[in-house]
Amino acid sequence: MIGATLSRWTMSYFAAALIALIAAEGLMAAGFGFPAAPIEAPETLVVVHLVAIGWLGLLMCGALFQFVPVLVARPIHDNALPLPTLVCLVGGLAMLLLGFLQLAGRVTHGLPFFPAAVGLLVIGFILVAWNLGRTMWAARPLTLAARFVTVGLVAFGATVALGSVFALVLDGIATAGPLVDLTTLGIPVHAAAGLGGWLTLTAIGVSYRLLAMFMLAPELDRISSRAVLWLGTAALAVLIIGGVVAICHGGSLPLALSAAGLLAAASLGLYGNDILYLYRARKRRKIELNSRMAGAALISLAVCIALAVVLIVLGRLGEQIGAVVFLFSFGWLTGLGLGKLYKIVAFVTWLETYGPVLGKTPTPRVQDLVVEPRAIKWFWLYFAAVYVATAALIADTPLITRLAASAMLIATCGIVAQLVRTRCLLDVVDKLRLPAGVRRPQLLYATPRQT
Amino acid sequence: MTEFVDLDVRPTLRAGGEPFGEILGAVKALKPGQGLRLYATFEPVPLFHVLGSKGFSHEAREIGGGDWEVLFTPGPGAVADGELPVAAATPASDGEWPAPVQQMDNRDLEPPEPMVRILAATETMAKGEVLQALLCREPIFLFPELAKRGHGWRGAFEPDGTTYKVLIRIGAAAGATA
Repeated sequence: MIGATLSRWTMSYFAAALIALIAAEGLMAAGFGFPAAPIEAPETLVVVHLVAIGWLGLLMCGALFQFVPVLVARPIHDNALPLPTLVCLVGGLAMLLLGFLQLAGRVTHGLPFFPAAVGLLVIGFILVAWNLGRTMWAARPLTLAARFVTVGLVAFGATVALGSVFALVLDGIATAGPLVDLTTLGIPVHAAAGLGGWLTLTAIGVSYRLLAMFMLAPELDRISSRAVLWLGTAALAVLIIGGVVAICHGGSLPLALSAAGLLAAASLGLYGNDILYLYRARKRRKIELNSRMAGAALISLAVCIALAVVLIVLGRLGEQIGAVVFLFSFGWLTGLGLGKLYKIVAFVTWLETYGPVLGKTPTPRVQDLVVEPRAIKWFWLYFAAVYVATAALIADTPLITRLAASAMLIATCGIVAQLVRTRCLLDVVDKLRLPAGVRRPQLLYATPRQT
Repeated sequence: MTEFVDLDVRPTLRAGGEPFGEILGAVKALKPGQGLRLYATFEPVPLFHVLGSKGFSHEAREIGGGDWEVLFTPGPGAVADGELPVAAATPASDGEWPAPVQQMDNRDLEPPEPMVRILAATETMAKGEVLQALLCREPIFLFPELAKRGHGWRGAFEPDGTTYKVLIRIGAAAGATA
């Protein structure tokens, strides 16, 4: 059948992702990891991977299982596979965190956590790439948005591969010289491929389509948006190939990183310009919460780039890299993710619940499932807390960082409560909530209905 | 070497016509092993799916002036007798659909309002009647719902590339797009 249907397990991915985000913010509020511990300490790596794999990675995978079919107008290759995939990814993350705790001496079991993590995360990645790859392969030639996703998946693979090398070296299994060099020097490449390549390029591709859809703006496939893709791909190639070659063959890693950074900055600049164009060309005058939050996230991205440039000029990027990565992860990626989640959960829940009876009986509108004025307060608290935390990181005031992380935690819990209310239809007026023939949706999965 | 039969639907499209029947007719007339070289005023993406399900692979290229040339090459499993794919309209509705009894312009509505309006309209119509709707994008989530309700549909972007026109026939079993 041509068209897209509901992704069965996307809600489970979202739930697992939000739990990981809350756990990471809780750890930061408790003063676990950076800045109390050094940035490369195992404790910091626990928090970083809880955010990168647990929160952002699972969020992105869950969203892609729902939206890649929309981008290519084909059903997902396999709607059941995402569940075992989720089990692999969550299991792999748990093993990885245990491995870091083992490294820190906080877990004293001698179990091979790192090899187990590598096995599970690699299988998880292959399952994600297989399912999305097959879906897109069936829909060639690819739309621009789908090409972004493809490049994002390649970066995802590179990130997993580098991370696997690190884990096996840390475990003592891999001892070859170049692999040890990669582990000592390759962390910037691993982090940039994950946050910049996989998460950012994919988010950019999906946002072109979703923002156009939600703001009633024309679909963009102009030269500048293709240039965003090409420059971003070039940045990634320079970062990954150049970075690895530089490390293993004694080239200049800073040179590869700077060249990739310049290409990435050009790509992001054009992207920002495209989004401004979409915003101006939109037919829908009222801007919904999700688009406003996407705007706030984009501003955070711009502030983040500006901050990095200022620090480079001052020669202090190295000592303040923690603050830059923090703002990138929480201001840009998390801000965008939470904002879009607010819309996606409402839309998917509406479609699942009321789709079968549309036109047959009065049904609520999508916006009747949410109460934006109530939700937006939590979002503003979240962004304010992110900026205070970033400033506190730069000023090196750990207590204020922890207080700001606590505020982020509270705001996130507030947003999650709104999402649960939406999913449970608690904000829909009683007489419209469950007309005849309508079933209340399950919190954690979608039940595709065959009639 | 595959031999290609040429079909130019650009005059039909420029005259505002619907070339789907013409294309299927040409495919039906192909001899085993023959391919189709199609000329159109836009990239006929939905057709890729329809002919793909009949075993044809495609190769599309822009040939200037916004026109496209698409080569449909039969694979080993290509349906040479021109049978419609499983998800296609019934023979009675093949090619000739009656004029729409209802038309709606949903281009300025925010999603999912176009889908809501279309489904509401289909509930008021009689079997065999056709609804025409203009949209600003392909209604991805509408198609599965139409299929569940047993309606047929055909849709494609207009030559301007920004308006998507969908025709829905009540109770026509399942949809084909072109």
